[in-house]
Amino acid sequence: MAGSRKSRAAGPPPPSVTLVLDNGADTIKAGVVTGDTADDRPRIIPNCLARDRHKKTYVGSELEKCRDFGEMAFRRPVEKGFIVNWEAQREIWDREFFDDKAPQRCDPSETRLILTEQPNALPALQTHCDQMVFEEFGFASYYRGIGPAFNAYQDMQAIFHTPRTPDTSIDTPAEVILLIDSGYSHTTVTPIVQGRPLHQAIRRVDVGGKLMTNYLTRLLSVRHFDMRNETYIANEMKEAVCYVSMDFSGDLDRTWKGTRGERRADYLTGGGIAKDYVLPDSHTTFHGVVRDYDPAGASSRARRAAVSTEDVLTLRNERFVVPELLFNPSDIGLRQPGLADLVMQSLSVLPIGLWPGLLANILIVGGSAKLDNFIPRLQMELLKRVPDECVVRVARPEDPVISTWLGAANFARHEHVNRLAVTKQDYEEHGAGWVARKFSAGLGVDS
Amino acid sequence: MNNFGVIEIASTTTKTTPGWAYVPDTGPTLPAVAQPSNRKRAARNQTVVSLSDLSAREETRLRKELDALDRDNHRDVNIPIPPRPGGGTRAQNKHTPNVRKILQSQKTFANHLDDYIAMLALAESNPVAAAAMNAALAKPSTPTTATPKSASPAPSASAAGTSKRSAAAAKRAAAKEKQEQERKKAKQTPKPDPEPEAEPPQQPAPAAQQDDDVEMTDAAAAAVQPAATSSNKEQEPKPQTYPRESQILPPYAKPPPRPHPGDNDPLLVSVIPPFPSDDELRALMTSPPLNYLEARATWGEEESRYPVRVFCAVCGYWGRVKCMKCGTRVCALDCLETHREECMTRYGL
Repeated sequence: MAGSRKSRAAGPPPPSVTLVLDNGADTIKAGVVTGDTADDRPRIIPNCLARDRHKKTYVGSELEKCRDFGEMAFRRPVEKGFIVNWEAQREIWDREFFDDKAPQRCDPSETRLILTEQPNALPALQTHCDQMVFEEFGFASYYRGIGPAFNAYQDMQAIFHTPRTPDTSIDTPAEVILLIDSGYSHTTVTPIVQGRPLHQAIRRVDVGGKLMTNYLTRLLSVRHFDMRNETYIANEMKEAVCYVSMDFSGDLDRTWKGTRGERRADYLTGGGIAKDYVLPDSHTTFHGVVRDYDPAGASSRARRAAVSTEDVLTLRNERFVVPELLFNPSDIGLRQPGLADLVMQSLSVLPIGLWPGLLANILIVGGSAKLDNFIPRLQMELLKRVPDECVVRVARPEDPVISTWLGAANFARHEHVNRLAVTKQDYEEHGAGWVARKFSAGLGVDS
Repeated sequence: MNNFGVIEIASTTTKTTPGWAYVPDTGPTLPAVAQPSNRKRAARNQTVVSLSDLSAREETRLRKELDALDRDNHRDVNIPIPPRPGGGTRAQNKHTPNVRKILQSQKTFANHLDDYIAMLALAESNPVAAAAMNAALAKPSTPTTATPKSASPAPSASAAGTSKRSAAAAKRAAAKEKQEQERKKAKQTPKPDPEPEAEPPQQPAPAAQQDDDVEMTDAAAAAVQPAATSSNKEQEPKPQTYPRESQILPPYAKPPPRPHPGDNDPLLVSVIPPFPSDDELRALMTSPPLNYLEARATWGEEESRYPVRVFCAVCGYWGRVKCMKCGTRVCALDCLETHREECMTRYGL
């Protein structure tokens, strides 16, 4: 293919240091791979400029220093998973990687950059990205690949806990996986064969962490008090209490208060679902706390509230209605299929012979994959839809947020990277269009 | 009726001109249905309104709500980049024109998407102009005489331009792919693989030019009389031969699972779908990416067949009752009363 035809000997040897960036809409996962050693874990940097109520602005990892997240406003360089605002993105990258005092300092002119992007990007944005990487930052070598595909370079069978003899070699990329990436902006389904994404079958549903947080905020604002400016706090709440329901209508029944005058027993006791959430008061506490529901009722709480002045929200069906959007986007009028149907739509364009392999190797990554019961629910819904003979096996890696980064770090040490990466000289000689074509052509078929 | 001499010519071309247009009246419109002659059974006779033909008002409300859910902040915020403590230690070399344009661009993703859609539309309606624009924009060394602001769409346009050709190629490939798929679907389950399938030994190998038909019968026979064929196949373990001679996905090399007495039971025989040939896999693996809009999943047959679930606007339980004034769904009287107060303040008594 293109890589082998080019004589690498003519150019300088590839740089030994690789900066691996999984540049997400919510957080950047960043780490350095030097030779054969990689960081164990990437550093997770908030990818935003944030401003608190005292008009102090935090850039990227400075957000760690922030204590009071009330009325936090965010400016995010990444929209819908793609880097759109390079002014902000450059500022964050500069402060994290290129300044003298940057926490992960590296010299772009001696570094290779591996950057993930979401599938089906707009060509204009891809070109912007390539131009910035070479013309502004001046990286020596660069590869931009779609994020889900990097996951294939992980040891897949360890994630699925497949029994095996210890002497089996771990072959990467994995032969066949179906990757579900449920991130901040959207959720995508990507079938991957031998590390090559099957582009025709990539599907997306525009439900992600952001939409779910905003939906929770809306529900709370209708039912309790106005939280619309408290996105950060609502997000913390979502991560703490939300779960995917295995029996939606049953859970909904258990949280219903009943008709006029009636108070159902499940409602009064909480039905095992209701939880109290203590909001931070921004003076002594800065993070919310989850408590078991206190069925003694509002009166005792009102008495306590008089002395302790803490704000308590009782969360009932909000806990599972919010993640339900992933499986039924039509609940809020979004005319898109749910996740299980999305998988089926993706499979429907592939030959049936590939189905068993894909269905038995479904991997879920991304922040929303941390929701409780996500995996059993998806497995249950898929089993209803696929042929009886198919084994449906769904798994998530230990930490679904950094999974793409770990895969990309393995990729940085794989021989594939040398076939795909583009040097600065190549860019200057052939231009941005050539680079874009080379990246979109991918590995080709020969292994 | 001679329609005042105006004769409508049947044509399939439609022009997209701003303003207004004659629209063929293909069916009863909703208001007409909503007012049947018999008032008594009006409620029962109403046609079921699915989500796809909601009223325009409802549609707008939904869109607004979804837009609100898609925002990063509730209010519009403008957070300027704060000055760096060290004053920015990275050498601030002069920006190249491209970089300057990108940094100054204030476009949002929606703007870029609109640009892209416009580009696609132009390529479809007027390929010549698009090609000319391409040629003009593809020159990388075009001097940037224009002010940065007015030139800011240029990089995106050139990008879309250069890749538009590949996009067109992608479309062609996709079309071909689809044909391929359809062709395959037509042939259906018994995959006509180039080499004959694991043939029962006593059956003589068919002539090469007839393998299509022969395989059909073979597969059919296997389906109808599983007992007969399974007794033949008993000796050869299936998993070993499953992805046969594939270069791309190597066959399963480990020893097959232990045979089980139930293996030959006609009731337990499972259908193994034919494995795609290397050529098919190669086509799939090298096919170009879809564009942003194509990858967005939409409702298929399956989803539009089921009614949409509705929820109580107050407490989130099933929305079983409709407010008679505004149509908002609530669960029961308790929530209806809560809703009435709000409804009253909004719409009056």
